[in-house]
Amino acid sequence: MKSITAEIVVVGSGPGGNTAAFYAADKGKKVVLVEQDKRLGGVCLNYGCIPSKALLHAAKLINEAKGSSFRGITFAAPSIDLDKMRAWKESILVKLSQGVASIARARKVNVMYGRGYFEDSKTLRLETPKGQQFITFDKAIIATGSKAALPQAFDLGNKRIMTSTEALEIEEVPKRLLIVGGGYIGMELGTVYATLGSEVVVVEALGSILAGADPDLIRPVVRYAEKAFKELRVGTKVLKMSTSGKHINVAMEVNGKKMEELYDRVLVAVGRVPNCSNLGLDNTKATQDEKGFIQVNEKQQTRDPNIYAIGDVAGGILLAHKASKEARIAVEVITGESSAFADIVIPAVVYTDPEIAWCGLTEAEALEKGVKVEVAKFPWSASGRALTFDRPDGMTKLVIEPASERILGVGIVGAGAGDLISEGVLAIEMGATAQDLAESVHPHPTLSETLSECAEMFYGYATNALARKKSS
Amino acid sequence: MDVRLPRLGEGADSGTVAGIFVKEGDRVKKDQPVLELESDKAVASIPSPAAGTISKIHVKEGDEIKVGQLILSLEGDGATAQSVTGQQTQPVEAAPAEEVMPEPAETIEQEAAEPAQSAGVGQPASPSVRKLARELGIDLSKVKGSERGGRIVLEDLKRYVLRLQQLAFQPKAAPREQASAPKAVLESIDFSKWGPVVKKRMSTLRRTIRSKMVTSWTTIPHITQFDEADITQFMALRKKYAGTYEKKGGRLTLTVFALKTVVQALKKHPIFNASIDEVTDEIVFKEYFHVGIAVDTEEGLIVPVVRDVDKKTMLELSIELQELAEKTRRRKVSLEEMQGGTFTISNQGGIGGAHFTPIINKPEVAILGMGRGVLKPVVVKSKTVQRTMLPVCLSYDHRVVDGADAARFMVDLVEAFGGVKDADVKI
Repeated sequence: MKSITAEIVVVGSGPGGNTAAFYAADKGKKVVLVEQDKRLGGVCLNYGCIPSKALLHAAKLINEAKGSSFRGITFAAPSIDLDKMRAWKESILVKLSQGVASIARARKVNVMYGRGYFEDSKTLRLETPKGQQFITFDKAIIATGSKAALPQAFDLGNKRIMTSTEALEIEEVPKRLLIVGGGYIGMELGTVYATLGSEVVVVEALGSILAGADPDLIRPVVRYAEKAFKELRVGTKVLKMSTSGKHINVAMEVNGKKMEELYDRVLVAVGRVPNCSNLGLDNTKATQDEKGFIQVNEKQQTRDPNIYAIGDVAGGILLAHKASKEARIAVEVITGESSAFADIVIPAVVYTDPEIAWCGLTEAEALEKGVKVEVAKFPWSASGRALTFDRPDGMTKLVIEPASERILGVGIVGAGAGDLISEGVLAIEMGATAQDLAESVHPHPTLSETLSECAEMFYGYATNALARKKSS
Repeated sequence: MDVRLPRLGEGADSGTVAGIFVKEGDRVKKDQPVLELESDKAVASIPSPAAGTISKIHVKEGDEIKVGQLILSLEGDGATAQSVTGQQTQPVEAAPAEEVMPEPAETIEQEAAEPAQSAGVGQPASPSVRKLARELGIDLSKVKGSERGGRIVLEDLKRYVLRLQQLAFQPKAAPREQASAPKAVLESIDFSKWGPVVKKRMSTLRRTIRSKMVTSWTTIPHITQFDEADITQFMALRKKYAGTYEKKGGRLTLTVFALKTVVQALKKHPIFNASIDEVTDEIVFKEYFHVGIAVDTEEGLIVPVVRDVDKKTMLELSIELQELAEKTRRRKVSLEEMQGGTFTISNQGGIGGAHFTPIINKPEVAILGMGRGVLKPVVVKSKTVQRTMLPVCLSYDHRVVDGADAARFMVDLVEAFGGVKDADVKI
């Protein structure tokens, strides 16, 4: 039995884990990065953000081609080779994952493949195909992420019932696909499958899809989904699923009425659960909350002084970039800097058609918390750039503190919203006012102008849209 | 073993040696007071951290010493055995480590109580400025931003630090100047011209009292509100239950009852439990109720603080107060036990007297004085009856407390005194 030592051992190599490992190595620490999968990169790179965005890009191509006849361009109906599409998607993942591995090598991070298990607060046992190894560490950072939740009632062992991981493999394009859960995963994959030709029905237990985003941002997506999907059913509970030959029989309750339907496949996208069973947490002082997430303070410290947790496994918003930020905080705290996850703006992006992105305080949150705000909105129908590619179905809005005119929140719906939101994050982080945004020159013609014009709307002098004059 | 000056408490990091109780060669027990230290807050005795023989004393009376400074060397007994671990027990040395790695459990609980605001509604400042502030331990809500929308930039932070630095030196100088100011103006008068006199040097405690009183009296516009509280019912209950309390080790006194009653009124009138932050122009409302009790000791007035009065029963308070008063009279009370008060009670009833005008114990904003309860004819529902009436007097800081506030506080307080029920006292 071999034993190796590390100043910092990072368990999990997703966007949290690899950021932590590389940053710690840059700060001169001896780092071991543990990964139980065959490839580095975690869910984000292998089974989440990246493959889904690749497939969404393919879907966009199909939709653009299909919708171009009114521009005088007509294409033949696309022929889709699923094997080739899968291989193309896979090639992207391989490229990225190899990139992570070569960066690890260049930084002299010791990457070890196997499943990590805490023997105590100083020792991680690594189970590899070749046997066990023990890593003695000063500090450990747990970044094991999360996995798609599959409630037991739906877990029939039938491959026709999928989570996002299987759905991203697009084994086939089912004729009838039921998506349980109208969150971002359900809506994004719904877009992919609908474009590839499935009849998609999305059911959501709550009264609206995409909980968390402001209702006015969601509206264009609902409009798209109502057209592209067979049906969008809110207020619907799935009661039971059973195998029925080559189909899945699904019993559900729609606004109190019970019904049964047959589907070729079902995608269950009802949330994610932390990966921390079988991690040996009981052998440490780290604690979990009632949902199983590891409890940490704002320095990412668990109750075990040697162990930190970051990313999905530490709860909060389950987003890759939040994990990366927490990774930096954990490493800085370990190396003696005074860092803390406090007042940090985490943007959210949903890659639906059109995209939705928001950051900071939402209008709904302001209302709920009783924060007095003013909201300025700029419709994309007034944006020259949006009209050049026929997407007036967008909107940019600012949530502003009336007294200081400081920007507290930004919400965008529209094509490419995800890339536009960063300016909002910067504005909020820098404590910018609406005037700061209005006075910063934005290039024309771009979608970014919608942000400065929105700020101008607040003052009542936007060039391309009429706003109520601000009474002074 | 080297004995260094331990951390004294919030904001107190130095002081003047007012007295040394031991000499070289003396044997001392653990916790035996070895010297008396006067800081601008109070006078405290510094105990020996271990038993042993004093081999050398490194300071002398009148020395200005700082936290962490070597006071004396100790030999033998527990001293050698402890010298190994001595480092750890010294709060000064342990402090930096504590800051880097605080007990995570605590922070988690705090976070749960008040979820971190990730929506970014903190102070407007760039991430780099916020990080610097965190490193310097500066609360950005106290810094005034000069940019549009109140945005705090690096320059604002620098200005704030500079101001803090200036202020840090001021308060030390200020009381001293004030205390010595009369000396400078007045010439020493030779009273022996008119007859025989005895001169006694002012004790350190007396000098501290002098400067505290001068500061409070000259910086706070005082008003005193008088009233009388009917304590007939309490006196009857006290007679009934005094024995039971005594069996459990407590003394059911009027002060114990007053502690409970005052906190009720403070909860209803939070301004009386507040302080003024004169640097930031803020009123600080405290959500805890630590009440100071003026204790008459041989050397003079000392005000130890009873903590979390609202969370303690009358019996617990009766036991604690008795112990605290006893400790104070023997001058065994620590500096920490005299800090953090939110209100003060001064009960002269044991000696006698009626109304008086107590001076506020700064930075608190009010103080309650109590005289001696006396039997008086009182008209109740057109009949003259005998009631025990307690003279009460409330001095308050008119900068933050208005007359109407004080009247309302007094009405509620007097009513609470009179309205005591059997269940309130019963154990």
